[in-house]
Amino acid sequence: MVGHCDWMGLAVRLARYALDQGETPVACVFVYEPMGEVIAYGTNDTNGSLTGIAHAEFMAINHLQSAVGTGAEMLRLARSITVYVTVEPCIMCASALRQLGIGKVVFGCANERFGGNGTVLHCNKDASAGLNGTYRSVPGIMRREAIMLLRYFYVRSNERSPKPRNKSERHLDKTSFPLLNWGRYLEESEFVEEFGEEQTNHYANHTDVAEKINWSLVDEGCDDIINELERRCSRFVEHRNKRVKQ
Amino acid sequence: MVKKALNPLKIDFKKCIVEDCLLQIRNEKNLEEPELINVWTIQINAKDSKLLIDFIRSKILDEDGIFLNHIKRIRKVEGPKKMLEVVLCSTEFAQDEAACMSLLTNCGFNYQNLSCENLIPKQGAPTKELAIEWSELYWPLNWCGNPNDQILNEYTFDIDFIREKLAQITSISQEEAKKGNKVPVVTAFVNPCDAEHPIVSTDQRSEVNDLVLDHSIMIGIRKVAEDTKLKESQLTDSTIGTDSTYLCLNFDVYTTHEPCSMCSMALIHSRVKRCIFIRPMSKTGTLRADSGDGYCMHCNNSLNSKFEVFQWIGNDFAPIEIESNLCA
Ligand SMILES: [Zn+2]
Ligand SMILES: [Zn+2]
Repeated sequence: MVGHCDWMGLAVRLARYALDQGETPVACVFVYEPMGEVIAYGTNDTNGSLTGIAHAEFMAINHLQSAVGTGAEMLRLARSITVYVTVEPCIMCASALRQLGIGKVVFGCANERFGGNGTVLHCNKDASAGLNGTYRSVPGIMRREAIMLLRYFYVRSNERSPKPRNKSERHLDKTSFPLLNWGRYLEESEFVEEFGEEQTNHYANHTDVAEKINWSLVDEGCDDIINELERRCSRFVEHRNKRVKQ
Repeated sequence: MVKKALNPLKIDFKKCIVEDCLLQIRNEKNLEEPELINVWTIQINAKDSKLLIDFIRSKILDEDGIFLNHIKRIRKVEGPKKMLEVVLCSTEFAQDEAACMSLLTNCGFNYQNLSCENLIPKQGAPTKELAIEWSELYWPLNWCGNPNDQILNEYTFDIDFIREKLAQITSISQEEAKKGNKVPVVTAFVNPCDAEHPIVSTDQRSEVNDLVLDHSIMIGIRKVAEDTKLKESQLTDSTIGTDSTYLCLNFDVYTTHEPCSMCSMALIHSRVKRCIFIRPMSKTGTLRADSGDGYCMHCNNSLNSKFEVFQWIGNDFAPIEIESNLCA
């Protein structure tokens, strides 16, 4: 069975690709559950777009829209989509995914400044974000990989900055990670549904379900990731075209 | 700084209303509770207080981005020796102990107990009673009036210009409704450097091909970016736009309906300066304290970004009402 980590692994490799392009290493893949296949992907494009709103999730939404054609069709598919994103969606993206009616979100590390799935606000559950139902947001999948990519990014931009702020920002920490307060994002019963009864000690202790880092995902450049994702997404388009013809 | 009495605008400081028509939107719920920040403190001998005051004046006051005029810098330490505890600077200005120590080299006086454990209110208290209460709870404060009075007094408003923009978006909203737009929300983005050419956007979600996320504010932000790219491409030298990651930096935004969480956050990401809306959205709005889930996105303490928000409460503009469950 394909699990959360397989999908998140694709998102992590895509984030690594974004890092190599000089963008913030945040990336997502949209998985269409009935097919078990990626149907859209996105990375941050705030530099390219000249806006502060071209986040990975919006790039994926645009990508999907150009594949399926209409907004109405997007709404129809949304419930069956799980979004795998390396960093918790910000409030804007969390609200957008909610208004779109997305089925579920799985993320790596928390977005301490702007997180909209529990860190700052709960846009996935609160009433004000609209008519399209709530969604569950599962944190902590490949969290350390996501954090490492962000650390690479900050160390790099700090090296380039004319006035480095302080020593700790120049030093790359590969061993210590903040605790994960699961309760901010999931009820204990939801945690058990996602990870199983045997993992509940992590819920109570605020520890990672997986402590071992898959360094090859973080460290190896992945120029082939775009091709791979494109190949996967095209399978969805073919599948859909066949169905339309029948 | 204009004295309150000399401000040509009519401001009701109690109700926070400017010229009887612009209501300042604040988070009334968190006014009674101070937002606390850590500061660096040291202890010194009372006899060194003059040296210390000179040191703070010359090395800290102009440099520290966090203003601490609302607190008393110095308090007495209980005990037999005449010791004083002093707020040195914010933890933002000196990020670690080493930074503090290097700041203090050659300061000319002895100090001890360098610490960042003390919490102080980030801003002055809104009433004298609260100032006394907070002084006892946290750190001695000065009472120099409600800090919000000063904030309101320092805002600038061109009421005629504001009226003109609101009239413009209202009439477009009415036209859109006539054309069959089921969500006639309209926004105008005004660049402070080019106020004569606002960028106006309308909600696109009822168009068949468009998305439920095509709210007027999202469309407007993208239009501003396109507009800038176009202007840049027409210029031979690329002097503007070299630092244009946040393209709506300091823009004023006029919108017919109180924005939803997606759009409010998009305004924060875009670094706008001010948003004025006309119709509150009681279920889906995210600016008024009594709208939706009470997010108060523009003055939410856990979101470090701030922008000014006002609601037009004069009854001269009536953009089309939209269904209360919809996000504007
Ligand atoms: Zn986002
Ligand atoms: Zn909106």
